[in-house]
Amino acid sequence: MKLRVNGALLRFTDYRRVITIAAPTVEAGLTALADQYQPLRKVLFDREGKVRATHRIFLNGAPLEREELSSPAGEADSVDLLLAISGG
Amino acid sequence: MPRWCTYEVPVDTGMFSPVGLQPTAVLRLAFNGAAQWLGRHAISHRRLVSEHKTGFVIWSASFISDRPVSFFDADCLEMRVMGRVCGGGTQFACEGQLFGSFGTAVHVQATCVPLRLDGDAALSGVPARLCPEVMASFLPDEIETLPHRSPVPGLQAVVAREGILLARHERQFTIHRHQCEVADQWFWPEAASLASGGREDLIRADADSVPTLRHALGTTVRRLDLLFNRPFFLFDQGVVVSSAHRWKGRLVFIHELKGIDDDQARALAIEQFAAAGGSWN
Repeated sequence: MKLRVNGALLRFTDYRRVITIAAPTVEAGLTALADQYQPLRKVLFDREGKVRATHRIFLNGAPLEREELSSPAGEADSVDLLLAISGG
Repeated sequence: MPRWCTYEVPVDTGMFSPVGLQPTAVLRLAFNGAAQWLGRHAISHRRLVSEHKTGFVIWSASFISDRPVSFFDADCLEMRVMGRVCGGGTQFACEGQLFGSFGTAVHVQATCVPLRLDGDAALSGVPARLCPEVMASFLPDEIETLPHRSPVPGLQAVVAREGILLARHERQFTIHRHQCEVADQWFWPEAASLASGGREDLIRADADSVPTLRHALGTTVRRLDLLFNRPFFLFDQGVVVSSAHRWKGRLVFIHELKGIDDDQARALAIEQFAAAGGSWN
């Protein structure tokens, strides 16, 4: 899948916006992304290893609920990772 | 009695255009004034974020200009600002005046929504009521139960309904880091810069057919209202959709700031100018 990282998260992926990841599901793709870019791990996942509620995940443009993160994702799929809001 | 803080702001040429104070400079001073007030009377912005896991995201802002001020009017301006909680802890608002020996130049107001930060390095958060420890730092007179309401939706509707459309224009933009704050989220006063850029490009494109538009290059914004729905982030691409209207003898510019793929505006800005030869009231 192609993972597209946006805005405030770019500094955690060395400013790479589109990253190709081979993984069977969206959740596995996010985990592999965090393995590849360690600074992203604490930003993306909470202490229980769940995706933080402050992120929005889209699969081919459609928003995913937390329970839908196990959706399968193949080579042709794109996953967008957005930070909804941050507070400075 | 609500507490105020007053301090001097030395002027520099970058705060002004040839016609008066730059709107973005006014809004930056307002946000800085809110931080000054928080630091003196409640809890500093830094401690709010780092110790209380409380951030703010802008929701509404406005200013009304009483009179044009030029760089040559004074060495320093005075900023007077007051902070308060609205909506029972669901908003933090500040209001202030920028003034000098000549009187008040600008009245400014900004309302933020508190966020409960998740504790990660991206400063991600979700809207939440201010926590009791933070609420305790405000005096009873500084806590209002009613929320602040933005005039923008009503103003946009009445101008569209009653005004005469003069011109429309679109201008694309990318958010770069110099336009962002500490979390790589746009620093909200940039909305005024993007709106001004949209207006100036509209005027450059259409003033030959609508000459009255040029008045909005030669005079200062009398009133600016902003409403924020969703932030832009680093390298987000967007478009300013600007429209110019004649309404109640004024020149009014409505700017919708959208992401390049968005249906809904992430922010709205409404600039009002007294029309050439027209009165404000």
